Amino acid sequence: MEEQRYVVFLFPSVSYALKAEKILKAAGIVHKLIPVPRHISSDCGVCLRITEAKEQDVAGALRGKVAWDKVVLL
Amino acid sequence: MAVTIDARGLACPEPVIMAKNAIEKNKEIIVLVDNDMAVENIRRLALKMACGFSVTEKEGGIRNIALVRTGSIDEVRGGGGASAREDELSCAVAAGTKATGPLVVVLADNHMGRGDDVLGDILIRGFVHTLLQLQPRPDKIICYNSGVKLAVKDSAVLDDLQELAKEGADILVCGTCVNYFELGDQIAAGHISNMYDIAETMAGAGRLLRP
Repeated sequence: MEEQRYVVFLFPSVSYALKAEKILKAAGIVHKLIPVPRHISSDCGVCLRITEAKEQDVAGALRGKVAWDKVVLL
Repeated sequence: MAVTIDARGLACPEPVIMAKNAIEKNKEIIVLVDNDMAVENIRRLALKMACGFSVTEKEGGIRNIALVRTGSIDEVRGGGGASAREDELSCAVAAGTKATGPLVVVLADNHMGRGDDVLGDILIRGFVHTLLQLQPRPDKIICYNSGVKLAVKDSAVLDDLQELAKEGADILVCGTCVNYFELGDQIAAGHISNMYDIAETMAGAGRLLRP
């Protein structure tokens, strides 16, 4: 079985991450709020993890509503 | 003929230091100890110093440990020279891990900490997810009070709990709590348990982690 690849969306603060999560929930996009992995530095301790294939969907859903810092491949 | 070292009744790190000194001078030694921590420390010493290790249990909780050196004394000195301090340090480690019992995580709430529930929700999700990266992994996880809500079908940490269970963690979900919250048909991780098992598991824990 092929290993699932994930990306994480990093946000400027916890409240951004929460707002983004609400939007993804409403849009029915599967996601997981996780602590920012150790090797990625971020002021905000949480990020949203999604499968790599969903990156464009998520970017589309969040654009204009919540700003994010960057997207990092896990 | 093996030299016998009597380390019964001695506290860590005394037994492992005596064993180390003796195996540096002798090819074969027998060490008598009366606790698991000493056995573990000497097992590690044997690994570090390339010695054969075997342990037999005698009456009254006495353990008879046989060490047989396989390398030369020079190798032993070279390999074990700086290790006396490490051996001392391992007392605390050995005392905290398997020597005394399982690592038990208590999820007593579906939030982590007090003060703000929105934040507490984010924190508990991060905590449970991070349990998967702990070494060693938790042996048992107990969910009670609103902690049982973490084990329901639509829980944000359900996948993490299921993964932990798959990797061998025993997840005890408080039956009284499930009943109280009327979640009987929604528990999707772990198994329904009772206060006897919960109290016993907590009492038998080597370490108890409560977020």
